[in-house]
Amino acid sequence: MEFFSKADLIGTLPLLVVFGCSLLLLLLDALFKDAKKLVFSVGIIGMLTAIGCSLYTFPLSATAFSDMVLVGGYASFFNILFLTIGIIVFLLSYSYLEKQHYHLKEFYTLIVISISGMMLMASSADLIIIFLGIEIMSVCFYVLAGYKRIKVEGNEAALKYFLLGAFATGFLLYGIALIYGTMGTTNLIRISQNFDAFSHPLYLAGWGLLLIGFSFKIAAVPFHMWAPDVYEGSLTTVTALMSTGGKAAAFSSFILAFSIPLSMHNEKLMMVIAILSAASMLIGNVFGLAQKNIKRMLAYSSIAHAGYMLVGLASGTKLGMDGIIFYLISYSLTNLGAFGIISIFEKENGGNLSYEDYAGLGSRKPILAALLSLCMFSLVGIPPFAGFIGKYYLFASAVQSNLTWLAIIGVMTSLVSTYYYLRIVVYMYFRESQQSELIFVPSLALASVVLVSIGIFIFGIFPSLILNVIQNLL
Amino acid sequence: MQFTFLNIGILTWLTFLPLVGMLCIFFLPQKKSQLAKWITLGCTTIQLLLATIIYIKFDRTLAGVNSIEGMQFKEIFPWISINSTEWFGKISIQYFLGIDGLSVPMILLTAIISFIAVLASWKIEKSVKGYFSLFLLLNTGMFGVFVALDFFLFFIFWELMLLPMYFLIGVWGGERREYAAVKFFLYTLFGSVLILLVMLALYFSVTVTDAITGEKMHTFNMLAMMNPQNFENNSLLFGLHTYWRYIAFIALFIGFAIKLPLFPFHTWLPDAHVEAPTAISVILAGILLKMGGYGLVRIALPIFPDAAIHYVYPIAFLGFINIVYGALCAMAQKDFKKLIAYSSVSHMGIVVLGIAALNTQGMVGAMLQMFNHGTITAMLFVIVGVLYDRTHTRQISEFGGLMNKMPKYSALVVIAFFASLGLPGLSGFISEAFSFLGAFQTHQWLTIASTSGIVLTAAYMLWTFQRVYLGTLPEKWNSLQDISKRELLMLVPLAIIIIFLGIYPTPMLELMNTSVNALVEMVKVK
Amino acid sequence: MITLHHFLFVSIILFGLGVYAVLTRRNAVMVLMGIELILNAANLNFVAFSRYGGLKLDGQMFALFVIILAAAEAAVALAIILNIYQRFNTINVDDVDTLKE
Repeated sequence: MEFFSKADLIGTLPLLVVFGCSLLLLLLDALFKDAKKLVFSVGIIGMLTAIGCSLYTFPLSATAFSDMVLVGGYASFFNILFLTIGIIVFLLSYSYLEKQHYHLKEFYTLIVISISGMMLMASSADLIIIFLGIEIMSVCFYVLAGYKRIKVEGNEAALKYFLLGAFATGFLLYGIALIYGTMGTTNLIRISQNFDAFSHPLYLAGWGLLLIGFSFKIAAVPFHMWAPDVYEGSLTTVTALMSTGGKAAAFSSFILAFSIPLSMHNEKLMMVIAILSAASMLIGNVFGLAQKNIKRMLAYSSIAHAGYMLVGLASGTKLGMDGIIFYLISYSLTNLGAFGIISIFEKENGGNLSYEDYAGLGSRKPILAALLSLCMFSLVGIPPFAGFIGKYYLFASAVQSNLTWLAIIGVMTSLVSTYYYLRIVVYMYFRESQQSELIFVPSLALASVVLVSIGIFIFGIFPSLILNVIQNLL
Repeated sequence: MQFTFLNIGILTWLTFLPLVGMLCIFFLPQKKSQLAKWITLGCTTIQLLLATIIYIKFDRTLAGVNSIEGMQFKEIFPWISINSTEWFGKISIQYFLGIDGLSVPMILLTAIISFIAVLASWKIEKSVKGYFSLFLLLNTGMFGVFVALDFFLFFIFWELMLLPMYFLIGVWGGERREYAAVKFFLYTLFGSVLILLVMLALYFSVTVTDAITGEKMHTFNMLAMMNPQNFENNSLLFGLHTYWRYIAFIALFIGFAIKLPLFPFHTWLPDAHVEAPTAISVILAGILLKMGGYGLVRIALPIFPDAAIHYVYPIAFLGFINIVYGALCAMAQKDFKKLIAYSSVSHMGIVVLGIAALNTQGMVGAMLQMFNHGTITAMLFVIVGVLYDRTHTRQISEFGGLMNKMPKYSALVVIAFFASLGLPGLSGFISEAFSFLGAFQTHQWLTIASTSGIVLTAAYMLWTFQRVYLGTLPEKWNSLQDISKRELLMLVPLAIIIIFLGIYPTPMLELMNTSVNALVEMVKVK
Repeated sequence: MITLHHFLFVSIILFGLGVYAVLTRRNAVMVLMGIELILNAANLNFVAFSRYGGLKLDGQMFALFVIILAAAEAAVALAIILNIYQRFNTINVDDVDTLKE
């Protein structure tokens, strides 16, 4: 009996490359003493290769390893997104870690492993794979969150993240167990073909638990408590990875799993998701107003943005799912840009993170300030930036599904959010600077930030470039 | 009617030329940053030429408004096009530009005022490159709003103006610039959000058949939205005089009223005006306010004629409040610039009253009033700016007797002031008379009450004139210079336009007459 | 005769106890144990469903996966808790609260 075929191996090539790369990095780490540059460059090369493989597998549309893993299309698309995020986080981290005096090279290995977990999540055709992917990613994140080992806040972030994250995993797993029991399989394709057990209470309870688990991972209200502390306590580039890659991965498998119960037009489920979404938008944006620390503000903003994306899921239509995918791209680019600039600007011991520190940045570092404003405007959702098209799509899907009230809440709360996003801009341009220290801008980090900003622009003006691709994914 | 250069239509040139200029400014070396002024001046001069070409070539017999054949200098390309999907059908957002009698006067106005505003910004010292790039970006947004016929595109341009304006007030403004900029931003964004929601609702209600594939699809085409037959049965905005249509109209109306600005949404305007630098005040009063009125006649009225008729009385009433309230506030001001700002509120009330007349005279009056008010207030703000540049104060009480010290300047002031208060023979009179005449036929008592606004305007204008320009000159201003050539270059053309249109308004009336008639017919049928 | 329902009943009790421990215990190690209880409740479910539902070995396999991952999680968790103890001299989760709300 043949366990797998050549086609399986070719189809999962991107995954295999990243797995191989992470093993290689572990090895290099162990063999060479001072291999920071080596690990860094091998990691980048590995991820670039994986992007190439993803492009190659993109036209395929199949499953591999007896329907366990999705191949091509959706999976490849998300793989490219995760790998791009990974590369940018690499570029940002290199100088940032130097500045913060963290010389451990496992950092890069952990990032690559967490990205392999994300890739598994986006290519899962089976609930086991979703679980596996989430765990691989989360365990790496727990460690990365506690990377500021010598700092109080790093430890605190790691502990909070771990306890709540593992708790959520427990719910997720219990939900999977219930679905397995009622359906006799964990395979998503087979679950979607079996209509008999759909009203079984255990089955519904299973989806409910699954929903709680995912809500934790995307930081939706009321399961959001970890996000502000973890975002603030972690290294800034780690926060960038968690808020972009982590969220995108959680959503990618969220969509894969929940397209099944949503395709039944389950009104109650839609309503529950809609309420989660409305609560996230309201709480995230209202609490965002009160923050003084920029990383914490962006944490609440990320809660709110989870709410916006849930709007698309609540609508249950393909338009909504496409909207989420586009939004994930624009949100990831924007947050990478924002956190990238914050990491460039951050002082050695975690200073320079309050609004006041950004005063007068417009005249001190015009390019950085302009790029940060661009990111903020994209987060608000003002044309011609990508954030606008994303929000537009999501709210359109809500209107189409008769959830107009949700669209109105979304639009109104984004109006509220304008205030705290603009505050940074106000400080940067309208206030005089208190500091005169020179800010060193590392070229790698600057280049990556410029790159994502160009992306925000291009996807804002010519969204059809990417929308036409997203169209055919699901 | 077509007119292209390098295979690119004239409207695209008009709209995107500033972006080209902006790129040039980006690549200017820091040492030559003064060149940015010349680049900007060049752009606006070319735009002025293009606007003149449009003015000459424009076919005055075509109505436009809701017929695609009547639109001139059309440019239609697919912009965001996403193939058919099972759930949604084809998504197509067009790059659809075109102009008719409603937009041409606004384009002329924008071209003239932009040119003046560049001259008014000549003295800017603080980061010249940044200022002029934002200025050009703003310029693109303004022209875009007036030429876009696709609602989505219109909305993008509408929002595009927000960012440069925010920075122009916030960075180059006066003492309370931060407060003014944020207030402006939030108010306008709130309006845009309402417009966005209505746009979404319209999009899902309107379907057209694709000419090539025969496929049914939703559209953002404004002209398609104006045809009631395109509304899908049972869609949200289907039918006439329905609950949802009323709500949509109110939302759209508030969205535009904030920009106009209509009482009670006007409070951002005085703050923004007082804090903004002179050139930006000129643009704000001269062009941005007109966008609110333009939005009403271009979008709100033709798409929701039923709701417009239903709410015509409240709208006229708001117009009346604006006229009287604005005039009363203006009377109470001590700050010269704030006074002019409130006079704008009052004069824009006349526009609303004229539109609410829903007949040809009223509407023509309103459109003409938009043009005339644009030129007159621009002149008034330049006048304040000239004074402020020399004295660094705007308190009316600190001035007096400037007439003798600055004779050339004061002569121009006389023209602007008298045009503003509606003296026959100057342009303001014609448009106000038309508006009131039209409004009188529909809302007799309101119009009679509104005319008290004219008296009030005359009172505060003359009183201000007396306080600032007559009487004795305070000693500290003994060394004041009369106006320079650059300032003359700003004021004289505006004065000429004001006098010319006051004596012979036909060229302007001719431009808009056919379109306004068509619009009035459209609204009447319902 | 022990039926599927017995297993499910035990599992749901374990799950409930686990959630209770996580929510009420303030000692980080106890919270960790609560989480382990939840995971094992799920494991019990998997195995029981697999055995009684006439399904193949999927459930058992899943349980094995979970055991491995639980071990990995526990290793990371204990490392974090150890670090916490060094910094804070306590492993009471309520005392670990320096990040401002």
